[in-house]
Amino acid sequence: MSGSMIKVVIGPQHPALKEPERFIIEVEGEQVVQVTPRIGYVHRGIEKAMENRTYIQNLYLAERICGICSHAHTTCYVQAVEDLLSIEAPPRAKYIRTVIAELERIHSHLLWLGILAHEVGFDTFFMYVWRDREVIMDLLEEISGNRVNYAMNTIGGVRRDLDQEKISKILKGLEVIEEKAKKYIQMIQKEPTILKRTVGVGYLSSIDAVRYNAVGPLARASGVKRDVRKDDPYIAYDDISFNIVTRDEGDCFSRMMIRAEEILESINIVREALSKLPVGDISVKTRLVIPPSETVSRVEAPRGELIHYARSNGTDKPERYKIRAPTLANLKALCKMLTGIYLADVPVILAGIDPCFSCMDRMQIIDCEKKEKQSWTLDDLRRYAREWYQKH
Amino acid sequence: MNEDEIITSLKNRFGERVHNSKIAKPRRVYVEVDASIIREALSYMRGSLGFDHLSTITGLDSEERIELIYHIVCGNSIVVSMKTNVLKTNPKIGSISDIYVTAELYEREVYDLLGVRFEEHPNLSRLILPEDWPENLHPLRKEATLEQIKSRLSMNGDGINERFND
Repeated sequence: MSGSMIKVVIGPQHPALKEPERFIIEVEGEQVVQVTPRIGYVHRGIEKAMENRTYIQNLYLAERICGICSHAHTTCYVQAVEDLLSIEAPPRAKYIRTVIAELERIHSHLLWLGILAHEVGFDTFFMYVWRDREVIMDLLEEISGNRVNYAMNTIGGVRRDLDQEKISKILKGLEVIEEKAKKYIQMIQKEPTILKRTVGVGYLSSIDAVRYNAVGPLARASGVKRDVRKDDPYIAYDDISFNIVTRDEGDCFSRMMIRAEEILESINIVREALSKLPVGDISVKTRLVIPPSETVSRVEAPRGELIHYARSNGTDKPERYKIRAPTLANLKALCKMLTGIYLADVPVILAGIDPCFSCMDRMQIIDCEKKEKQSWTLDDLRRYAREWYQKH
Repeated sequence: MNEDEIITSLKNRFGERVHNSKIAKPRRVYVEVDASIIREALSYMRGSLGFDHLSTITGLDSEERIELIYHIVCGNSIVVSMKTNVLKTNPKIGSISDIYVTAELYEREVYDLLGVRFEEHPNLSRLILPEDWPENLHPLRKEATLEQIKSRLSMNGDGINERFND
């Protein structure tokens, strides 16, 4: 030990993004030696709140667990409650849920591609991607009335139907996004800025991806073929043919490519779902009091496996409702990837798991020898990273 | 390996210490085991039956006991929810963070919210609650009222400077 061990505290406050998180990163020179995460800054006590509210009220809470993948959470929630009630949503409702889920995945992946481009200092790409993401946001607004928190799901079905006019608007929007996504894929593969900052960065082997129980695109980018839509099918995924995209590189480049390619798969899923859209009701009537039972509900959210556990007790409120979002599942894998890398790669790797917390505006650098403190913002770290890469 | 075979293998291996097993629907299995064999049972599931993924650990307050449910997955498809329970007066159980790495975080969450102590855990510290949260207030226990939690939260901010000085 050369005595140059420095603790870099990243987070938790961040004025621009949601969901804070803190990482204490110990560095020796440029290299990260150890990473300690600390979460909970935005723990809202939703599980406790759910025990004190009715199943219908909880639907609105579930919608607000996440601002990006709210549909994934309500799908998981209504699926759990429908299972407790031993009812099933009508086929048309299941297909509409699938369409919204994939539109959500597309806008979530686009959002992430933009953020990663921003992290590597390629803001033009960020702006292109976020401009194009508006096509999907407009479609979601057209269908549900809302850009986010679409409130499409309800216990026993969906709240709004798709008519022919909306379907043709969706199909038109998808054409635009398909063309753009193909362009992005070409750009990612050729653009030197992206390649220099992502190829070989934040490596996670497939053995480690399994060992650290990584989920979603992070696992698939390390060659682990896991997707709840395929392996544990729900809503309409059983009837739709699609591929699970995997890649073997296991680095940030691979994670970028996976998401870009998944956008194309999602487009095809929406097209197929719309072409097969069954006729009939979009919801069934339900009771509000649920006999004692329990269930495990799983969904492939844009960030990976989402799992809810519910237990009913014969009243109109759940006895217990447990939620585990994908980012928590990927935290251990993230710490593994951050260990041994250069400090300059931290922002890209952190962003690389598509965290649904956005941490780290305030940084404290503590020199263990001198006990001196110095605060950095995320912009400082970004600047540091870019300058470091210009030199090396 | 299908749902029935999983239950049969568990019963063959652990006999009467496995009870109340049921297949609620395809790919959803529930089984209860004695708290004394939870580590052994989970390492058997991981090592011999291919349950390489721990989705999460649910903790739940059921009267004088705390129930723990380990949701483990095989081939990203069959979910076994393995239940056990500990006494509320002395909630202690062996940590499984050496069997499933991610359990380290899920156990800290259960420790935070229900006050279960996981023995041999590498770092059983606060994950979600503030460091100065009182030891005897466990938010997800039924006796913890929303008023208690609210009044405690309104005190937040005290002692925050000391915490950052270490």
